[in-house]
Amino acid sequence: MAVEIPKEKWTAQVRKVTIGATSEEGGTRAKTLTVGGESALPFLHYEGSFPNKPALAVEIRDRKPDDWSPLLLDALGETAEDPAKWAQAAEAMGADLIYLVLSAATADGNPNTPENVRAVVRKVLDATGLPIAVVGPGQAEIDNELIVPAAEEADGERVLLGVCEEKNYRTIVAAALAHNHLVQSKTPMDVNLSKQLVILINDMGLPLERIMMDPTTGALGYGIEYGYSVMERLRLAALTGDKMTQQPMIVDPGAEAWKVKESKVGEGVPEAWGDWNRRALNWETLTATTLIHSGANIVILRHPENVARVRKVIDDLSSATT
Amino acid sequence: MALTGLEIYKLLPQTNCKDCNYPTCLAFAMKLAAKQADLADCPHVSEEAKTKLAEASAPPIRLLELKGSEGEFQVGNETVLFRHEKTFFNRCGVFLRLQDSLSADELKEKVAEADAYHVDYVGIDLYLDGFAIEAASGDPKTFGAAVAAVAEKTKRPLILLAATPDLAKAGIEALDETRPLLYAADADNWEAMAQVAKEAGLPLTVRAETLDELADLTGKIKEAGVEDLALDPSLSGYLDSLHKLTSLRRLALKENFRPLGYPVITFPGSTESVDAAILAAEQIAKYGGLIVLDEFDPSTLYALLVLRENIYTNPQKPIQVQPGLYEINDPDENSPLMVTTNFSITYFSVANEVEGTGRPAWLLVADAEGMSVLTAWAAGKFDAERIAKDVKTFNVADKVPHHKIIIPGHVAVISGELEEELPDWEIMVGPREAVDIASYLKSMWTT
Amino acid sequence: MATHSVTFQPEDKTVDVPTGMLIAEAARQAGLEILQPCGGQGRCGRCAVIVEGAGVRRRSTIRLSSEDVEAGYALACQTVIEDDITVTIPEQERVERRIVTGRSVRKVELPFPYDPATMQPVRVSQLHLHPPSLDDNVDDLGRLKHGLSELGISDIELPLPLLRSLGDKLRQADWQPWIAFEMIGEEGSGRARLMEISAQAFDPLGLAIDIGTTTVTLYLVNLTSGEVLSSAAEYNGQIAFGEDVISRIVYATKGDGLHQLSARVRETIHELLTRVQKRTGIVQEHIFKVLVAGNTTMIHLFLGLPPETIRLTPYIPAANRVPPYSANELGIEAHPLASVECLPGVASYVGADITAGALSSGLVDSEDLTLFIDVGTNGEMVLGTRDWMVTCACSAGPAFEGAGVVDGMRATKGAIEEVWIHSDTHEPTYRVIGGGKPRGICGSGLISLMAELFVTGAIDRGGRVNLSLDTPRVRTGNHGPEFVVAWADETETGKDIVLTNVDVENLMRAKAAIYAGYHVLARSVGVGLEDIQQFLIGGSFGQYVNVEKAIQIGLLPDLPWDRFEFLGNTSVRGTYMALLSRQAHSRVDKVSQGMTYIELSADNTFFDAFTGALFMPHTDMSRFPSVAKIWQDGNGDEVQDEQK
Repeated sequence: MAVEIPKEKWTAQVRKVTIGATSEEGGTRAKTLTVGGESALPFLHYEGSFPNKPALAVEIRDRKPDDWSPLLLDALGETAEDPAKWAQAAEAMGADLIYLVLSAATADGNPNTPENVRAVVRKVLDATGLPIAVVGPGQAEIDNELIVPAAEEADGERVLLGVCEEKNYRTIVAAALAHNHLVQSKTPMDVNLSKQLVILINDMGLPLERIMMDPTTGALGYGIEYGYSVMERLRLAALTGDKMTQQPMIVDPGAEAWKVKESKVGEGVPEAWGDWNRRALNWETLTATTLIHSGANIVILRHPENVARVRKVIDDLSSATT
Repeated sequence: MALTGLEIYKLLPQTNCKDCNYPTCLAFAMKLAAKQADLADCPHVSEEAKTKLAEASAPPIRLLELKGSEGEFQVGNETVLFRHEKTFFNRCGVFLRLQDSLSADELKEKVAEADAYHVDYVGIDLYLDGFAIEAASGDPKTFGAAVAAVAEKTKRPLILLAATPDLAKAGIEALDETRPLLYAADADNWEAMAQVAKEAGLPLTVRAETLDELADLTGKIKEAGVEDLALDPSLSGYLDSLHKLTSLRRLALKENFRPLGYPVITFPGSTESVDAAILAAEQIAKYGGLIVLDEFDPSTLYALLVLRENIYTNPQKPIQVQPGLYEINDPDENSPLMVTTNFSITYFSVANEVEGTGRPAWLLVADAEGMSVLTAWAAGKFDAERIAKDVKTFNVADKVPHHKIIIPGHVAVISGELEEELPDWEIMVGPREAVDIASYLKSMWTT
Repeated sequence: MATHSVTFQPEDKTVDVPTGMLIAEAARQAGLEILQPCGGQGRCGRCAVIVEGAGVRRRSTIRLSSEDVEAGYALACQTVIEDDITVTIPEQERVERRIVTGRSVRKVELPFPYDPATMQPVRVSQLHLHPPSLDDNVDDLGRLKHGLSELGISDIELPLPLLRSLGDKLRQADWQPWIAFEMIGEEGSGRARLMEISAQAFDPLGLAIDIGTTTVTLYLVNLTSGEVLSSAAEYNGQIAFGEDVISRIVYATKGDGLHQLSARVRETIHELLTRVQKRTGIVQEHIFKVLVAGNTTMIHLFLGLPPETIRLTPYIPAANRVPPYSANELGIEAHPLASVECLPGVASYVGADITAGALSSGLVDSEDLTLFIDVGTNGEMVLGTRDWMVTCACSAGPAFEGAGVVDGMRATKGAIEEVWIHSDTHEPTYRVIGGGKPRGICGSGLISLMAELFVTGAIDRGGRVNLSLDTPRVRTGNHGPEFVVAWADETETGKDIVLTNVDVENLMRAKAAIYAGYHVLARSVGVGLEDIQQFLIGGSFGQYVNVEKAIQIGLLPDLPWDRFEFLGNTSVRGTYMALLSRQAHSRVDKVSQGMTYIELSADNTFFDAFTGALFMPHTDMSRFPSVAKIWQDGNGDEVQDEQK
């Protein structure tokens, strides 16, 4: 019996977004990263085209973080002491994008300064040829204060700036407009809110080709199903022609998975949780791969081993030969 | 195609007689459309309507039931492709594979350990669904003994991986009063395997390399009298699994293609060069039915069982966060304590604002059944009693000896009652909107 | 370049203008001013003129119907001159009339031909009794009964106070008494309840009362002629104890709360009754029937029933259908024996106001798929036909009634009821009910203002005031960013009239809840909004609601305008109908039993639809193609993508 494989006829595709600019494009990056462009649900090669694979971003910090799991700090070793080294290490791990998160305060407890931000951004840009993202610590006032100098310092590099949220996006979008960057539009796990912020940012004059959509996710066991479904719904809407859902999606399984007890804590937890290190690695990986299946175009990771582990899955899924 | 409530209503008597215990015929019809009511509850429905409604409600993926000496397991009956449409129905099974090449003692030890595995996830007890015993020896006697050994240590459902009729029979004979799944009939042995399954009244797995062959085989086996089937589409790796399982689910649901409307069994550890944990996770999200693991490793099993729980939750439940006392920016005993509900968007907006202030704080997330502050208050789910109860449940007093609690401005009205419920506490009324938290803390929290 | 001669009427002024000039510009050259509140964007339609001759090209006719164009209407700001023509500039007032959709509710007309003999159970009839004598020594009551039997009354209920005064009254009337009674029981059963015996003739009166969460409305009705003698409306005195039903319920559970709330609404009714009594000079004792509608909570509070269970799952009211009580028991200043009856409700959040509205809106007779919406503090709606109905309720808040908005007010004298904003200068033009200085903004004014602020870019799609506009009208006030609609020197109060960001948020929530409500309701039975042939809208927005504006803010779906009809207060109107006719009353009973209530909080589809609608006009602009077009005209290229 010849079974006819059912295929969906989608009418639209995900928008292509390119992060980073080479010297020809007015920047200094050795390569750029383009995501999006697919015209079917993830990896269903038989019903659409997939010009770009999902990409991996690796999170680095402007200084050694105080609150990361010891498992992560052990794995990173001394690279975590210096953003330039860290960026190089991330490149060596196989990152497609360096995701630089700025701290609210410096190691000695003083507020972070625009001068320091400029220096760090410069260092990272010099240390790696990869495209970069620069995001603030997530506090509206401080974000605005730190992202503007970062945008100026990286003028023309088509950096992904973040994080734009509904309550605080105007300053960051203005900085992106002024210095030819992109923005990360982040909303709390809701299809409509995702669209709304993209529309508001776009209404400020930033082209859709410069907006990455971050629908937010929870880690495995901590709300991943909501993020998963919101992403699936956004992608289905995108493929059926809803323009404002067609932004490629970036999510942060690294940050989410590494802040939960399962990854952070090794003692005083149930025996049934199993080996701490393996469990923590699984937590980040499975959060990431599950989200890739629901449509993520960029996942942000933290652990070096997981970058390789997830890379292999993406490569296997992206080979159209089977 | 499923009928809408209005279409079903037109088949009902339209008398609003209430004999079905619904207030109107339309209410009953809408419950039927949502598959939350039984047509038999209407004593007045016509035969014609019964026939039409029955056709519309046959499940596109046949239910498969397995039984151990105590445990039961069901899979199938799925009705949607995406979990946001409607809850995925029956959780896919997670089984552990063991070979009969192990000695009886080794088997017993392994089974006992895995069988005893229980882990608590937000109050839900997670465990393995059963065991698959593989006749690696090829010897019916050895296999029978292995099955008996396993059955001695677990009461959960079993899968008998026995590729010949003799082996299958030996396995079946070693068990009584249970309903294991037989594995597997293929193009070569299907007649004999179907015979065994039919005689024993057991469900049978059908295995083939391609979906074409698979559909051929299920047709023949069904004709031979075995209706309860599982499918093994011989998967090789992440992409093959995604493609084949997506096609199978779509064929069943969208084309109502009966020859392939059965649950799927997978062996994620069988493909070399593939990370079994990642493939198993993919199959949990994308249409696996019975997932047979080769290794018992709690650090993986816990993650997979949690993922399955997440994927199979009811998507229509409001998005909730776990009630509890949350730490923001590393609070200490002098940090302010705020309370809000466990509706995710409420929680996120409050938590983000507090985080954004850069100030350490405690956030008590009360169990308001996933409703926002005002809705929960309106429905009596976020009142003084509830807050006081959660203050106790989560031992908040130990963490914040200052005994001051900030309640959302929208529920200022409950402050008096809360004072009664928490007599040694000071109740502070916070801002109505999360966006004003920063300025509120700046002016009201000076310690 | 060719020039053409253009003559303007009625001024009879002629100018020569080059080909391609706009009529508006030509008028200016002729020294005439055509009002263009929207700034010549072709949005407001106020500059419509009548062109004689075919020598024009209409760039846009967006505000005109095809009949208008046929009749020669053209928008002066959108029409270029290509030949010699004559242009008539109509009086501004006439233009306004033409563009306002909706119908006046000022005068209450009889809803149907009224025949009290077959419809009205409350009557006053004169009996012609034989005076008793030594030969005819039947007792007074027997004599009365005999007289009543000639009216077809075979069985009576006679309240004790009336029996006590029976003898006196019959004799005072010299055995020719006027009897006020109400037919009760099954039709044709001949049962009547006597209420009054009088020596004088008089017309029986009735009251139809709608107790809204925010507004209470009362009609005084002559039950003989059926006409409404007077009507009055006032804010519900309970507002002081909370703006919405939930707050009232909570208040009712505390101490003396229920008693207080119950007393407050009685006071409001008393106040309204006094007002109509003064206007008409009627005698309150002639009121023999009081019919009350309202949402379930309001009915509970009116009757003094504890409402607590209404708000708690599974949301069960004490009673959806209550028997009649006497005016005396309920403290209504009518005849003490007058019956006071509440129309039946369906569920905790779908009350008698909706069953009454389903009647008066005509939904109960409709063969076409019809949606009836009552936009009040709770947005309740019913979808269906004469054969089936589904209903739901959502909490909209009182914003469209003018409450909960800084300068909001009821639709009475001094309320701004319509606003236009110039797209370049952002200067508003407004119309005030009664024509004097404005005191505030009513529901229709708020809808129109929101729409104008949106299409002119003064608020963004998320509803935030755009502070970067170059006009003193946008500023940061005590309540955050706001838009000044009227400066202090133009207003009655001597204070600026503003719309704040918080007001906009409240209005957005209200319109989003209503949109989400009917969206989910339609989905629940598997129909699309476009399948709905009639949208019947009740509520106290104001005299007129401009359909186009209501669509622009996303309160109503983007469908042909002729599908919408604004009906004003449908609840009091339905109550009035049921007061007039027992047949209408029993229709309401039947409707209340056949409606299927959909609980929106049962799952998150409503919430999803709500957040989608919490944007201007909706997150999904493609659902509002006509708005997209206007918005696109006023905004840059970036947004054009969106509508493809």
